[in-house]
Amino acid sequence: MKKLVLLPTAFAMSVMFAACSTTPTTTSQLDQARGDFMAAQSNPSVAANAPLEFKAASDALDRANTAAAKKESLDEIDKLAYIAKQKIATAQEAAKAKQAEADVANAARQRDEIRLQARTAEANNAKAAADRAKADADAARMQAEAAANSARDEAAKNAALQQQLADLQAKQTERGIVITLSDVLFQVDRAELSAEGMRTAQKVADVLAQEPQSIVQVEGFTDSTGTSSHNLELSQRRAESVRNALIGLGVPSAKIATRGYGEAYPVASNSDAGSRQLNRRVEIVLSQNGAPIANRR
Amino acid sequence: MMTMNAQWQMLCGMAVLIGLSGCASDKTPATADVAVSRAQVAAATSAGAADLAPAEMQAAREKLMRANQALAAKDYKTAQDLATQASADAQLAQSKANSAKATTAADELQNNIRLLREEVQRANATSQQ
Repeated sequence: MKKLVLLPTAFAMSVMFAACSTTPTTTSQLDQARGDFMAAQSNPSVAANAPLEFKAASDALDRANTAAAKKESLDEIDKLAYIAKQKIATAQEAAKAKQAEADVANAARQRDEIRLQARTAEANNAKAAADRAKADADAARMQAEAAANSARDEAAKNAALQQQLADLQAKQTERGIVITLSDVLFQVDRAELSAEGMRTAQKVADVLAQEPQSIVQVEGFTDSTGTSSHNLELSQRRAESVRNALIGLGVPSAKIATRGYGEAYPVASNSDAGSRQLNRRVEIVLSQNGAPIANRR
Repeated sequence: MMTMNAQWQMLCGMAVLIGLSGCASDKTPATADVAVSRAQVAAATSAGAADLAPAEMQAAREKLMRANQALAAKDYKTAQDLATQASADAQLAQSKANSAKATTAADELQNNIRLLREEVQRANATSQQ
């Protein structure tokens, strides 16, 4: 029991003596300076950027270490260690300043580079804008040309249509364009179109095919010979006959209306054969823009 | 006997000489060190250390003042020690001031570059729309 208590005490004593005998003279100031020096040593920037200051710091620490090794007074060691510590800090700061100066130079270079890039980008943008403007101008020119072409086509088509309408002896009236198919295009008292009548119907169908907006009303008329009910019916049949002919030529049936007027609305007197022939007719009223055709008044 | 006497005289003379030179070597370097440290404090002040490293600057000034007092009191050893410490403090203060200034300049320039870069990017972005 007694032995166990004595053992740690002896150990502690031996440690104390060992500490006393092996520790060289040092001070907290010197330990701190040594630590600072190691930190400065492990920073490659210090030796590279502040070699003179680092050398001075190293020498100062050497002097402090030498004083400690010679077991000079603690006060003397402290003084030298303080000088060393300040010189190490000076070297650190000098290195930092040098690094910052290098950063400044580098940043100035970077700034110039960015400015150059900006100018290059500006130039590229200006060129791109010019290219775009040229492309736009080309597109506009082509569009204008196309428009001119289509206007020319339109004009040509219009001229052709006018020619066809002239061939059909069409008359412009307030109800629309009126094409008159005369009696000779029908057999007497019959509704069937003659060969000549079919050719005229073909021309009307051509006009209608070119004018997709147009609608027509086919109106039949007779002379005053015979009963009015017969004439009404005959005029209706002739109008229907023309309508059928047009449908047969490809005109959509929805675009064609018919109306039989009988002996009403004569264009001549009915007093002689020539005048009566003028009254026996079919009129095709054409509305080019698809507007409804007003009835006769 | 004569030779003995002459030897003694010489020894005495040398001792006096050494003593005198010791006196002179204590006074002259201390005066020089104080002068050096005064110049270093002035250099640190003109580098802006009073603002940028006030603690070190304060220590340097205070030690320089005490070094001057010691010099006046013919305490050359203390004057020399204090002057050396004041020099070290002043050098650190100046170094700190310089690095602070350089760091500020570098940071400012970096900031400028960042702004410039942003501006360029914005300009590119708008012109590409």
